[in-house]
Amino acid sequence: MAFVDLSFSEELERFGVSTTLDCFNCGTCAAICPLIYEHFPRRMVRYAQIGARDRILENGVELWRCLHCGLCTQTCPREADPGELILGLRRYVLHHWRRDGHVPS
Amino acid sequence: MEDQRTPLPDVADEPRVGVYICHCGGNISDHVDVEALCEKAEKIPGVAVARRNVFMCSDPGQELIMEDIRSGKVNRVVVASCSPSLHESTFRNALERAGANPYVYEHANIREQVSWVHHGDPATEKALKLISAAAAKARLLTPLEPLRVDARRRATVIGAGIAGLRAAVDLARRGLEVVLLEKTPFAGGRVASLDRLAPTGEAASEAILSLARQVMEHPGISFHSCARVVGFDGYVGNFSLEVEVEPPAPEDAAVLSALKSEGEGGPRFVPSRGAVLGDPPAAQKRFRVDTGVVVLATGFQPYEPRKGEYGYGEMPEVVTLPQFIEALRDADADGSFLTLGGRPIRSVAMIHCVGSRQIPGVHEEDASGHLNEYCSRTCCSATLFAANQVRTRYPGTRVFEFYRDIRAYGRGQEELYQEAAHNRVLFFRFEPEDPPRVERADGPTGTPLVVRVKDTLTFGEEVQVPADLVVLAVGMEPAGIQDLVKMMKLPVGADRFLLEVHPKLRPVELATTGMLLAGTCQAPMDVTEACNAASAAASKASALLAKGCVQLDPFVAEVDWDKCRGTGACVEACLGDGAIERVDVVVDGETVRRAQVVSALCLGCGACVAVCPTGAIQVKGSTLAQFEAMVDAIASDPAA
Repeated sequence: MAFVDLSFSEELERFGVSTTLDCFNCGTCAAICPLIYEHFPRRMVRYAQIGARDRILENGVELWRCLHCGLCTQTCPREADPGELILGLRRYVLHHWRRDGHVPS
Repeated sequence: MEDQRTPLPDVADEPRVGVYICHCGGNISDHVDVEALCEKAEKIPGVAVARRNVFMCSDPGQELIMEDIRSGKVNRVVVASCSPSLHESTFRNALERAGANPYVYEHANIREQVSWVHHGDPATEKALKLISAAAAKARLLTPLEPLRVDARRRATVIGAGIAGLRAAVDLARRGLEVVLLEKTPFAGGRVASLDRLAPTGEAASEAILSLARQVMEHPGISFHSCARVVGFDGYVGNFSLEVEVEPPAPEDAAVLSALKSEGEGGPRFVPSRGAVLGDPPAAQKRFRVDTGVVVLATGFQPYEPRKGEYGYGEMPEVVTLPQFIEALRDADADGSFLTLGGRPIRSVAMIHCVGSRQIPGVHEEDASGHLNEYCSRTCCSATLFAANQVRTRYPGTRVFEFYRDIRAYGRGQEELYQEAAHNRVLFFRFEPEDPPRVERADGPTGTPLVVRVKDTLTFGEEVQVPADLVVLAVGMEPAGIQDLVKMMKLPVGADRFLLEVHPKLRPVELATTGMLLAGTCQAPMDVTEACNAASAAASKASALLAKGCVQLDPFVAEVDWDKCRGTGACVEACLGDGAIERVDVVVDGETVRRAQVVSALCLGCGACVAVCPTGAIQVKGSTLAQFEAMVDAIASDPAA
């Protein structure tokens, strides 16, 4: 994997996300999420933390599986608001998708 | 000291032994059939009653014993439980509280010597043999009086770090004279190298200075810098230390004289060294300190990474956390980037658990074959605290932490972890088998180093972090006090820290009465914990010395002058220095030589008993007759 890029969490602030680094990766969100989907939403949160832009864009479709039920945000012990982060990442992906050639063929 | 003659057993007082069997919450009863054992123990000759309890050491357990004594049902007690080093004194005290002599008590160890090493029927059989032997001895026990020795109301504290200072102040406030010995010219120890103390941010210099002022101002405390203990003997209440002081080394002397030219006053603080309390010794000198107790506050030293461990010693950009804390203290107060030695630091990588929690087969042993398997406890919070300082003072400098587990225990410390997240510190978690690798950067990062790690938070993928500086959060090791350990015969644990009698029941005492532990010579502790331990040691010391005399167990040799022929064999065999002497006494108008025991010096080892040709000498509480009865009980079939 490429280098860690902390500036991504700052970039995400433009998309309405300010809690990216508050998460301490306990996995409560993934455990409570009603979607039976591996490590969702923590995988996306972690990619955001380390600034793995490509991974987020490649796996952007995952973001639209979220029902926005709010359980992850309710149970997050760090109040890192994972539900809102997922919405913010949707905005980021929409902004970059077509332009960067991430349209699935 | 008066010679305490053993009172003759009351003949009318037929021994009635009570046997009390402990389950130890399953520790014993899972392997020993305690019910059957209890039934059989009741049939042992001389046993009046046998009872059992889940925890004999609990209040209800002790009450069983005390009730039987008060009602007259028993007048000798055997408890079959854990090692006597754990609870013998607990049960002796119970006897005393019930109005009995505490020495009509015998202990049978059926945990360490039985249930932890044997299983099934053999375990129960061995437990019965040990109980039979203990009961046989108990029948022959006679009441004894504890020895009383005069105690000097003076305490000596070795080491003037934060714990030594705290102990000295507490001891002096309780009215004891205090001698505080420090090997360097400065007081404050390792804390003097810290800048601010986690989690509150209090200045380390202030913590040292406030205690140093009290030490200086209290008339009951005498402080000796540049001092080493070179000789030690004696016993509780009457220890004697040989102390040597010598003038400070040239580099320290230069610091001290520069300070002196700035004027006089209270204690002065020199960063990284400590507080100066008065003048250092001008010449080498030896003197003796007579003292009632000794408080060991010899502290720790930071783990020194191996050459090449995470690049340490090979790449100048790799430093330890203590070095980083000092550099941070001396850096410009703030700015966009932290700048060290003219070099802007844009990215700091901090690696946890360096020299702590080492695993056999994974980590490399040090030169003497040791691994530090313990957690050093303080480094997580210290690292988080330093990270927060960097992030708040230098917003342009990024901080990355590589951890195995974050253990930010204690008040205000979990908050440091959360604060670090708010401060945009990014964390990576590694397995001990796959530690981070610190490498020279050859890519386009613009930093001299890159740290690669298989990050379990990113599902085991390898990530790379560019770094200008790598900080190793090194753990604690005990200070090099091998000379003291040898001289004072101090017990040392597998982790090489000094070992208390019991971690919960006697947490600041050594097995030698009157020797106490304060601070990180015992285990890794933060400043708060070290001061707590120091205060605990001080209160234990003052409780020991408050009466001006101390009580010792009476298990010492005693001579029957009717049988003694004055051969002197015992004097030659004696292992205690001067514990037996020959004196002239007048018997039937004739002057004869007889052996006499100096009780306070007697070790109770029994070497004299073995060599006496006439059987005139016995160790109280372990007489030959009592041993013979035990052997007979073991040799006979207890089930029969």
